[in-house]
Amino acid sequence: MSKPYTLNELLTITAAQEIHDYENVILGIGVPTTAGAMAKALYAPHAILMMEAGLIDFVPLIPLNHIADAHACRGMSYMTDLFSTFTMTYRGFVDVCFLGVGQVDKFGNLNTTVIGDYYKPTMRLPGSGGASDFIAYSKRTVLTMRGGDFVNKLEYFTSPGYLEGGDSRDKSGLFPIGSGPSMLLTTKGVFRFDPVTKEMYLAQIHPKVTLEEVKKDIPWDLKVAPDLSVTPRPTDEEIDFIRQFNPAMAAGRQLAQDLTVARAMKKAEAKNGIA
Amino acid sequence: MAADNGKVMTAKEAVNKFVHDGDHLCIGNYTVGTCAELVFEVVRQEKRGLTVYSQSGILDVDVLVGGGCVNRLVSTYVIRVGGRNGGSAVERALKAGTLQMEDYSNFQYNARMVAGMHGFTFMQVFESVMVTDLFKKRTFLGEDKYRVIKCPYTGKSIVTVPAANPDVCIVHVQRCDKHGNAQYWGALGSVAAAALASKRIIVSCEEIVEHDIIRTSPNFTIIPAFRVDAVVEVPWGAHPTEVLGYYNSDRGMHAIFSSADKTGDGMKAWLDEWVYGCPDREAYIDHYISRFGSKTLDEIRARTFYTTPANFGSAFTSVWDENGRSRNMGVTMEELEVILQEQGVLYE
Repeated sequence: MSKPYTLNELLTITAAQEIHDYENVILGIGVPTTAGAMAKALYAPHAILMMEAGLIDFVPLIPLNHIADAHACRGMSYMTDLFSTFTMTYRGFVDVCFLGVGQVDKFGNLNTTVIGDYYKPTMRLPGSGGASDFIAYSKRTVLTMRGGDFVNKLEYFTSPGYLEGGDSRDKSGLFPIGSGPSMLLTTKGVFRFDPVTKEMYLAQIHPKVTLEEVKKDIPWDLKVAPDLSVTPRPTDEEIDFIRQFNPAMAAGRQLAQDLTVARAMKKAEAKNGIA
Repeated sequence: MAADNGKVMTAKEAVNKFVHDGDHLCIGNYTVGTCAELVFEVVRQEKRGLTVYSQSGILDVDVLVGGGCVNRLVSTYVIRVGGRNGGSAVERALKAGTLQMEDYSNFQYNARMVAGMHGFTFMQVFESVMVTDLFKKRTFLGEDKYRVIKCPYTGKSIVTVPAANPDVCIVHVQRCDKHGNAQYWGALGSVAAAALASKRIIVSCEEIVEHDIIRTSPNFTIIPAFRVDAVVEVPWGAHPTEVLGYYNSDRGMHAIFSSADKTGDGMKAWLDEWVYGCPDREAYIDHYISRFGSKTLDEIRARTFYTTPANFGSAFTSVWDENGRSRNMGVTMEELEVILQEQGVLYE
């Protein structure tokens, strides 16, 4: 049995396993860049990591803050621009991309723009960024969702998944045949998409989570794989990689923030001669 | 302090001279190393009624909107601080109805600039957008947000976006000469297109370098001098965002901004302290050091990692060889002139 691990470590490792050797990979910030670094180190040494700011074949030195981070610039192979990164995606050279999710429907369509009426927003989310273009033309898309919602109807349709399901995406003639989201990773489980209906189903459930807990977030009658499995336990090698590369990710956002604030307070006290 | 070519000036002079109320103002930087000092100066000078173009808004767009400068925003991405319980100046302005926003995807926004940069009237974008609300929901651009035409070669429907030619672009780069040859490297994003699409360009830079530095590294020049109106030397000009090769982003300062931007009052207090309260970038850095010490700035200074030099050399730098003979004709200048005389081809 491998050593104990955190939920964040499990999520990152599960995402990393979606990257295969020799693939061209578009990463976003957060879980995806750490997953990309890990895949490159452990399973996919020839994968080409890319970000939409035009950084191609980079190896992140440390966890990245944004998609143009200086720590991805040192040692990259190809410094290009945003326009070319998207047109290479349009032409079919990107195998897999990673996107964060605000709202998702049962066919993997996404809203990252607004909660409430677009013209009178309740909450303004960041917007499309590159998501709408990437999910359209990347061969596969891995969706990661933390704190987002499953909904019957998106309040704003930012990025196209399988549209109305079935063959509607392929039949529209607007997308490469066979493209679309391949997985949705949440804090409770792994969802995949039925090859025929394109409706998402629960494929794996994370440890300590019950089926009821998964279902209570989902407003439709969720389908569950007949061979539903528990998300596999990470290996020591995988856990060690994450803790070394991104200890704050291993700790989780809250704990990392608490520790950072505590350190800052201690430094301030020392400066003022209190401690 | 204007130099002999008249382009080198302060941020205050540049913004006063080249940014006007009601302008279409483009933020040239993309996500990394924004032109923070130029943005702050626009707010200090209380420019009003701007239409702002931003590929991906970070603190820059929120400061402009929070400072009351912006009526309309064309963008693909805006920050939201503090997750669900947080907010942003953009969100508050949209809710108050004082700001209209037109949403594009990253590629479509950039395509508008690329069209503008090259002098075309529109650019083709990816057809997948037709199924999304980006296409269906429009604000002030209306019918002209996207138009669908028939490709004259394939007969297929293609989606287009109109060219953008903003009145003025503000952009921060690593280095520039006094003529305005602006060098930028790292995540190229859409910086060159944003600047070159614009009618006027204000470049701020970490340092003004000799023209020879530019001539020995032309591959890093993204904006040529003849397009640039003003050159502003501002060390730490992107702080708290980063500049590759100069400094990292300042996470502590970002955290302070993020915390402030959750509410209108917080934003106002932040602007009072860091924008209105500091007449220029030097004052801002002095204020920063008085609050946090200089150690924090020292910690985020970049280490060096130089590119390998590339050989730009050719075989000859003159058509005359070391003996003063033409490499092709084999004659000296004197011999050539004698021959010309003898041939009777010289006019007296």
